[in-house]
Amino acid sequence: MRPLTEEETRVMFEKIAKYIGENLQLLVDRPDGTYCFRLHNDRVYYVSEKILKLAANISGDKLVSLGTCFGKFTKTHKFRLHVTALDYLAPYAKYKVWIKPGAEQSFLYGNHVLKSGLGRITENTSQYQGVLVYSMADVPLGFGVAAKSTQDCRKVDPMAIVVFHQADIGEYVRHEETLT
Amino acid sequence: MKANREMKRLFVGGLRQNISQEDLQNQFGRFGEVSDVEIITRKDDQGNPQKVFAYINIRVTEADLKKCMSVLNKTKWKGGTLQIQLAKESFLHRLAQEREEAKAKKGKSTAGNTSLLEKMKTVDFHVKAVPGTEVPGHKNWVVSKFGRVLPVLHLKNERKRKIIKYDPSKYCHNLKKIGEDFTNAVPISNLTWELEGGNDPMSKKRRGEFSDFHSPAKKMIKVQKNEGSTAFLTMRAKPSSIMESPHLIQQVAQKTFHNSITPKSPYRTDFDHQKFKNVFFQTSGLETTKNRNSISDDDIDSEDELRLMIAREENLEKTTWSTNEFENDPFEVVRDDFKSDFHKFHTSTGLGLKNSVSCLNSENNVTENGYDSDSGDTDEIIAMKKSSGKLENDVDFSQREKSMYKKTYLKNRKKYALSDDCIKEQKRKNKVELALSHRVKPLSCKSPIESSSSEDADSVSESTECEGDKEYNTLMENCLRVNLTLADLEKLAGSNQEAQKEKTESNGQETTAKCDRASKSQRTPGDLRRGQQCIHPEEIVASLLEGRENPCGKQKTKENTLKPKFQAFKGVGCLYGKESVKKSLPESVASNNINKDQISLKLEEPGNMSMGKWSLCANGLSSEQTSFQHAKEENDSNQIQPQKRQSFASQGHKVVSLNSSEKRNRNPISSLLPLKDKKSLSCGAETPSRGLDEDCCHRTAKSGEGSERRPDLYSSKAPEKSPEVFSRRDSQGSKTDFPLSVNSSSDVNAKDKHAEDNQKRLAALEARQKAKEVQKKLVHNALANLDGHPEDKPTHIIFGSNSESETEETSTREQSHPGEELVKESMGRASGKLFDSSDDEDSCSEDDNNRFRIKPQFEGRAGQKLMNLQSHFGTDDRFRMDSRFLESDSEDEHEEINEQKTAEEEELAAEKLKALNVVQSVLQINLSNSTSKGSVAAKKFKDIIHYDPTRHDHATYERKQNDKPKESKAKRKKKREEAEKLPEVSKEMYYNIATDLKQIFQTVKDTSEKENNTPWNEDSDGEKAEGVQDTPALMTRDEQTGGFTFSFFESDTKDEKEETYRVEAVKPGKIAWQGDPCFQDSSSEEEDVTEETDDKKQSPEEVSLPEKETTRFFFFSKNDERLHGSDLFWRGVGSNISRNSWEIRTNNLRMDCRKKHKDAKRRVKPK
Repeated sequence: MRPLTEEETRVMFEKIAKYIGENLQLLVDRPDGTYCFRLHNDRVYYVSEKILKLAANISGDKLVSLGTCFGKFTKTHKFRLHVTALDYLAPYAKYKVWIKPGAEQSFLYGNHVLKSGLGRITENTSQYQGVLVYSMADVPLGFGVAAKSTQDCRKVDPMAIVVFHQADIGEYVRHEETLT
Repeated sequence: MKANREMKRLFVGGLRQNISQEDLQNQFGRFGEVSDVEIITRKDDQGNPQKVFAYINIRVTEADLKKCMSVLNKTKWKGGTLQIQLAKESFLHRLAQEREEAKAKKGKSTAGNTSLLEKMKTVDFHVKAVPGTEVPGHKNWVVSKFGRVLPVLHLKNERKRKIIKYDPSKYCHNLKKIGEDFTNAVPISNLTWELEGGNDPMSKKRRGEFSDFHSPAKKMIKVQKNEGSTAFLTMRAKPSSIMESPHLIQQVAQKTFHNSITPKSPYRTDFDHQKFKNVFFQTSGLETTKNRNSISDDDIDSEDELRLMIAREENLEKTTWSTNEFENDPFEVVRDDFKSDFHKFHTSTGLGLKNSVSCLNSENNVTENGYDSDSGDTDEIIAMKKSSGKLENDVDFSQREKSMYKKTYLKNRKKYALSDDCIKEQKRKNKVELALSHRVKPLSCKSPIESSSSEDADSVSESTECEGDKEYNTLMENCLRVNLTLADLEKLAGSNQEAQKEKTESNGQETTAKCDRASKSQRTPGDLRRGQQCIHPEEIVASLLEGRENPCGKQKTKENTLKPKFQAFKGVGCLYGKESVKKSLPESVASNNINKDQISLKLEEPGNMSMGKWSLCANGLSSEQTSFQHAKEENDSNQIQPQKRQSFASQGHKVVSLNSSEKRNRNPISSLLPLKDKKSLSCGAETPSRGLDEDCCHRTAKSGEGSERRPDLYSSKAPEKSPEVFSRRDSQGSKTDFPLSVNSSSDVNAKDKHAEDNQKRLAALEARQKAKEVQKKLVHNALANLDGHPEDKPTHIIFGSNSESETEETSTREQSHPGEELVKESMGRASGKLFDSSDDEDSCSEDDNNRFRIKPQFEGRAGQKLMNLQSHFGTDDRFRMDSRFLESDSEDEHEEINEQKTAEEEELAAEKLKALNVVQSVLQINLSNSTSKGSVAAKKFKDIIHYDPTRHDHATYERKQNDKPKESKAKRKKKREEAEKLPEVSKEMYYNIATDLKQIFQTVKDTSEKENNTPWNEDSDGEKAEGVQDTPALMTRDEQTGGFTFSFFESDTKDEKEETYRVEAVKPGKIAWQGDPCFQDSSSEEEDVTEETDDKKQSPEEVSLPEKETTRFFFFSKNDERLHGSDLFWRGVGSNISRNSWEIRTNNLRMDCRKKHKDAKRRVKPK
């Protein structure tokens, strides 16, 4: 368990900023307490100061996880967002996509969102913009990347992919063993 | 085969762009003759072809057509999936054909066509024709916006010399008109669809009838087709909500329109309709009925309902639409700040429920509001009761209303509690009346019950405040009952007005009729006084009496109310009264109220038993006593009262209980004591008694006060004791007097009995008190010995002792009326008690102090810790914590920990800073292409910052939030008002004038007439219309215009200017002086001035401007010159500039216009 290096921080923040933009600041500088990011087993955890102290008592090899896992660094040192970060990012999301009830399941199985399943989309979403996927009942379902801009979404045919799947809450079931 | 071939128009969709007409012709030529191919390419904004489809006219048989469809439909052809549908015939195409035909075969017409025409022309044409389509064969006739055929008008514009072509298809004024007064318009069903008469061609045309034979039918078809095509054109992949919504609104509007026109029946139908529509509404059939009721009742309600209905409809539509949306609309684009209300879109059921609920709520609100307003005051409550009572006279009083009343009572519970006093008084009144009624109709079983109930209510109301909800329910019940009693009272009073004399005779056997009369006559003022004392009963009576028509009944009821005390006091109807009380009490017992008043009833029973022994004098005395007691009780907290009662019950003392019961019975009487006294006056007319009267009056007033003062019981108690004692003495005197004055016969017996009773009572009380003291001491000791719960101990005991001593006190006082020594004794006893208790208190308070003092070992942080530790063990002595238990090195640890903490915090802070830096860099990267920092900050403020009232820097947000909306509204209004006014002119002028006026008043009268003259000169110069002026100014004007010369005027030293003036003034002298002559004067003068004295004219004007204003500064008239001046001042500068610019502009424009005109002419000419 160690703090992130600057490079790691940058990479991670760039990734997160895709989803929540400048609201990232609020994650880092929280009014309700000190929170920080910790790297452990290539995973980045978002930890409150309090828990951090508690976790300091446990040796690194025994420590499975602490706080909330935001994602992990791949071997190529890219950051991959995990669905566990959803709860923290969802309130700050800038661009959202709502998917129809029929397409919910498909998305939760790890599939991309087709245009036929697209219920609603934030306007002026640009292409490859990180979006948060919601059900029509405003339940956050996961992360995605807009495959088409909002304008393009109008034209594209119904079977075209409009949102690439990144992470979804189905992973809690599907990848139970890897999610920490 | 050929004969069967028909012209068909096919729609071929899903084509590629590269497809040509030949391709299509070849493709479809297999099935029939392809006559016309029209390829349409739909392009998007950028001009990229999106859709290609074609219309093909083909002459084909049915079979071939089917074959064609089956073969080619949904097949891939040249890169596209074909989609073939039968299309409607092209209107334009057909139209062109028709015209050609018409030209070719003039006058020819097919019979079938005309018949078709006959069918279609009236109905379909003007419904389905697209606005703007010309009516073939009729020049300048066009289908207008709403389907009517109207002529194109060529209107001549008056100003521009231009002829405007008014095309009715392009204007839709009609819509606005409909919108304006659609409240009192005719429902659609009642609209005239066909105009009768009017065979002239114009009207026929208007109706859409064309006598011309050619082709309206075909036209019809064409129109349809055209419409279809246009509809298709307008239909896009995405049916926007915007398109949908107006339609919706229209529908709704129509509906409302319809409803508003037909007030009642349509609603019902509508509601039925809605019921069928709305599943959820079906469940609430009751509500619908309610709604109906409300609608039929109230216009405003109906409006509300309408709104609701509209909302419902909209929701319905929306839900349906949303489902549609899912089919048609691929997705929806929302803004950034979108907040989805998925209830709206997805839970139609929820909506429906909500609607129904809201319906219900509104309904309830309506009813409740109504009753709320009614029951706002107790008076109105009474009124309500009255009405309810009236209703109750009828046999079938609906349960529903009762429940409503209950509701209202529940709602107004607090109010009720507040107005408890008045209600009580009212009830007392009721009691009296009831007693009377009982005497009048001893056989009527109702009234006794009611009397008991009213008594119950009384007692309950006395004890409500302490006992709370349970009691309240009973109270409610009682209130209902009270209604009954009131109603019955009314009835009784109404019916027995005539029988009253008999009553009085039967009641007052010994009292003569004269005495009665006299008492009546004297009682009415007494009544008035009583009214002063306690307003509420008066009002109640008034409200009761309003029900009756005859005012004389009023007095009679009052008499009725008075009679009982009469009897009681006089003792004439002593036995009678006893009987009545006896009757009423068993009845009340039999009625078995759920109230806790059973205790009190029990108390009353013994009282009833002992009633027999009572003498008249005792009655009177007791009544007086009770008056005191009552006052006291009022003063005492209600907590004490029940205790007292209970104690009485436990004692089982007849006398005491009698007293208490008497209390209840005589409460009203006690309030009416002065009247009695009056009566005694009328009979005996003795001076001492009179003095006593006054005392009594005073006392009763006090009691009333006491009853009112109940909220501040404890504070008022102590001071009130002494006067009460005093008045008690008085009452004793009066008591001795009363029997003398009034009762001669049964005096001695009464006194004896009374004395006996009192002695008995006292003895019992003493015994009881002793027992209590013993008990208390036991308890005290027991409690003092207990260390287990030191916290509970003091409070508990203190309260108990206090209250008990108080009760004792009061009870002793009750007893102590006959002899003052006894009073003193009891007081002393009580006081002794008090001291005891106070001793206890002192000790306890010391304990308290000790306990609350911070112990040395608990000081500081370590002490706190220790405290916490101890709290684990409770207050057990065995585990008391000392400083020994403190860990010695804890503080050091703390420090270390703190240091560590600080170090960690620093680290974290550093890390955070780093992270923030990174964030900055990252975001800047992001921001560089999207947003600036300022916007970021703004967003932050808007979205995220949690408002913290404790933080100082958040005060800014506070202010902004608070001030803006209010200010904006208020200011807008203000601004509007100010804009309407001419605000700034007044004030400054005013002040200037005020200062100058003095001078002027001084100067005018003394010397300078000249100065006075200058103003009017200028007036005549500058202003044509002048408002109210000072008298001198007016005078001068009159003179001047009329050509008269008064001494005032003549005295002026005139210069040339004025001379010229006068010369001029003679001419218009024949005309009425007012406006015109002035004008002429001014003009002429101007000329003169320009000729003669330029300087003179200019200089005085400038100089005298302020003066002129000073002369008439008091009021602003409408056309006041000052206002004019200000206008000039304000507008002058701006207007000059603007006028110049405007003139320049207009000139330019004019030039341009001319040029264009010329150009146009030139162009026209060569052609």
